[in-house]
Amino acid sequence: MSTEPTERAAQAPAEAVPAVTPRTAGAKAPAEIVSPGRTVTLDGLKAFYGSSEAVRGISLTYAANEVTAMIGPSGCGKSTVVRCINRMHEEIPGAHAEGSVLLDDADVYAADVDVVAVRRQIGMVFQKPNPFPTMSIFDNVAAGLRLSGRRGDVKDRVEQSLRGAGLWEEVKDRLSQPGIGLSGGQQQRLCIARTIAVEPEVIIMDEPASALDPISTLKIEELVEQLKTRYTIIIVTHNMQQAARVADKTAFMLSGELVEFAETEKIFTNPDDSRTEDYVTGKFG
Amino acid sequence: MIAPVAARRRRTDQVMRAVLLGGTLVALVPLVFVVYYLFKQGIGAISWDFFTTDPTGRFLGPPGGVKSAIVGTIMIVGLAALIAIPLGIGVALYLVEYGKQNVFSNVVRYFVDVMTGVPSIVFGLFIYIVLVLTGIGGNFAGWKGSIALALLMLPVVTRSAEVVLGLVPNSLREAALALGAPRWKVVFRIVLPTALPGLITGSMLAVARGAGETAPLLFTAFAVNATTWNLGEQMNSLPIQIFNDVRQPQANIVERAWGSALTLVAMILILTLIARLIQRRSRFA
Amino acid sequence: MSPASSGSGRQHFQEELRELEAQALGGIDLVVRTLDRTLEALEHQDIELASIVVHDDDRIDGRYLEVQQGILSLLALQAPVASDLRVVAALLHVIKHVERMGDQCVNIAKMLPVVGFEPPSDEVMLEHIFRMGRLARSEVEQSKQAFMLRDVAVAEDLVRQDLEINRLNRSVFARAVEIGTDEDRREWAMSMMLVARAIERIGDNAVDIGEQVAFVVTGEFREFSDASRVSL
Repeated sequence: MSTEPTERAAQAPAEAVPAVTPRTAGAKAPAEIVSPGRTVTLDGLKAFYGSSEAVRGISLTYAANEVTAMIGPSGCGKSTVVRCINRMHEEIPGAHAEGSVLLDDADVYAADVDVVAVRRQIGMVFQKPNPFPTMSIFDNVAAGLRLSGRRGDVKDRVEQSLRGAGLWEEVKDRLSQPGIGLSGGQQQRLCIARTIAVEPEVIIMDEPASALDPISTLKIEELVEQLKTRYTIIIVTHNMQQAARVADKTAFMLSGELVEFAETEKIFTNPDDSRTEDYVTGKFG
Repeated sequence: MIAPVAARRRRTDQVMRAVLLGGTLVALVPLVFVVYYLFKQGIGAISWDFFTTDPTGRFLGPPGGVKSAIVGTIMIVGLAALIAIPLGIGVALYLVEYGKQNVFSNVVRYFVDVMTGVPSIVFGLFIYIVLVLTGIGGNFAGWKGSIALALLMLPVVTRSAEVVLGLVPNSLREAALALGAPRWKVVFRIVLPTALPGLITGSMLAVARGAGETAPLLFTAFAVNATTWNLGEQMNSLPIQIFNDVRQPQANIVERAWGSALTLVAMILILTLIARLIQRRSRFA
Repeated sequence: MSPASSGSGRQHFQEELRELEAQALGGIDLVVRTLDRTLEALEHQDIELASIVVHDDDRIDGRYLEVQQGILSLLALQAPVASDLRVVAALLHVIKHVERMGDQCVNIAKMLPVVGFEPPSDEVMLEHIFRMGRLARSEVEQSKQAFMLRDVAVAEDLVRQDLEINRLNRSVFARAVEIGTDEDRREWAMSMMLVARAIERIGDNAVDIGEQVAFVVTGEFREFSDASRVSL
């Protein structure tokens, strides 16, 4: 730029320097995949509470072994969408869903599909940690196995799952103590251990850290980074910094519709849609 | 400088406190009196013979103890509990887990409420007409008394169980469902154990109510003096014994009535204590 | 971590961002004023005015530090994203260019004691330099307009004026080369060449500010260069 006049002139014949999209430096390094997850594809998904349409026809693909974040203001339908993926939405009286949700190629809403089996393949972690109060830590993690009727070596699985959730070292000496005796962050990791004990292929996290303190939140986020090498992760969050830190791709929803879906970095540096821009910069929400 | 409490408000605080304390004492007075009187009048009748011999039924001479009444109460109320408690919890489970919003549930709920208000003598009459007069399974019999008591206890169990089951946080059901558990397992492995303490309390209340009722037994189990362990026959019971004894002229027989009343109260107290102990022990499986 | 929320939190942030921008653009105003003074000092050979310019550069440096601090604070506390983030990043560049422009004015002002007492040796060269000065001033003002209006077309237009400055600069250089053998004249000519170069740099910095405007608006950063540019 600021050069000798002659140097500048020498540059003249060159073509215009091609435009550079700021920074690919922050793009997430592709993780080493330990076990391939499944792709989840939504096709024209609609969800209703009674007669009111909360999700208006969404089509979206969650790539395998990636973390996809769903962001949007309260009431935009993001929680409803993910609950349709593991068919928890229909547990609400009067609620139903239309359209299809494909786990790789299999439609989760096909007529002969066993709902219970779907939920064993698509696990869910909730906003408020909910360990079973009458059970010990061990039993909590094993609960998933026992409830879904799986036999096999429970003890090993429990240890593996607790390790996978980054909780083993902290609780290995007190497995028989009640699950609700742990701190909030530990309880949430316990719930994650419980979920992965069943060995799902997809894990849905509905605002997993919003009830936790910042340190626990960071631990959970680290955990998500590791988990994605084994599972496909869908995370609903209203904390945009979290989405930015954790997700490979981000989907922005508004009033039941999908407004924009792109690489997280694009959404937060240069989104296409002005509604997305307004939301992430905090002009509403 | 923080403003001090206004003198007027302090006075109001004190007056209210005094009023409420006074009200509590007033309410406690009859309770204390009853217990004291019960003890004072009845302790004289308590002896080894009291528990081990049957009432002789003789006008003159030693009146005997109340063994048959105690046995009878235990048997009749025991059977009634065996009927009413599972049935009542079952109805409550249906209302809470499966029928939150439909018309049928509301009708059931309404009728259960009505049943709590039906006078106990009506149940006795009902069983009298339906089972005794028709001569099904003999004339008067202990088990018919059990059924009458069960009808009485059922709404109590159902109402309290419904409240307690409703208090189980929905997040636990969701967690279990999301792990891939069929609904019945969610109910039996998660909801019931979590609600257990409250269910036990409600059941104990129902048992206490049933054990003290005289009227239903008048028409169904009737009364005999001899101890019998056969529910197919007429059976004595403590309320009936008290009812009969109190009307006798002999002072020692009247005293026996007081002793029976004291025994009844003590039995219920012991039962409740046992239930509490079990509940505390089983809190963490 | 607090979620982004509308209402007082984000409003506060928007106000802060606007203030920060006003501060940074105000820096451009400072540069314009400094440039005016510098050119006036050059024209009238006013040594005193020149020394005022040198001392007043502290103002511009101070503005640079203020804006930089404001940017750090905004980034740390408010975590701006999307267009807000681009604006903040751009302001950092803008204020840097402002500071550089200020330094160039100082460079020019420092030349004055060297050439101040000499009669001009080459009227044409002088005339070029004053023309360059006027163009540079116009570029700097225009760059501020472009940023304020977020107008990419206005920003790109800066290139046109800058080409002219470059052409005049080359011309000054050529004339200096042919000034002759007289030592005094040569000294004067070389000093004037340095002055011209400083002005040319000011123009480049203004174009750079224009590039930042394009970045803020489009999200892409590209160097402005004219395809129909005439090479030397």
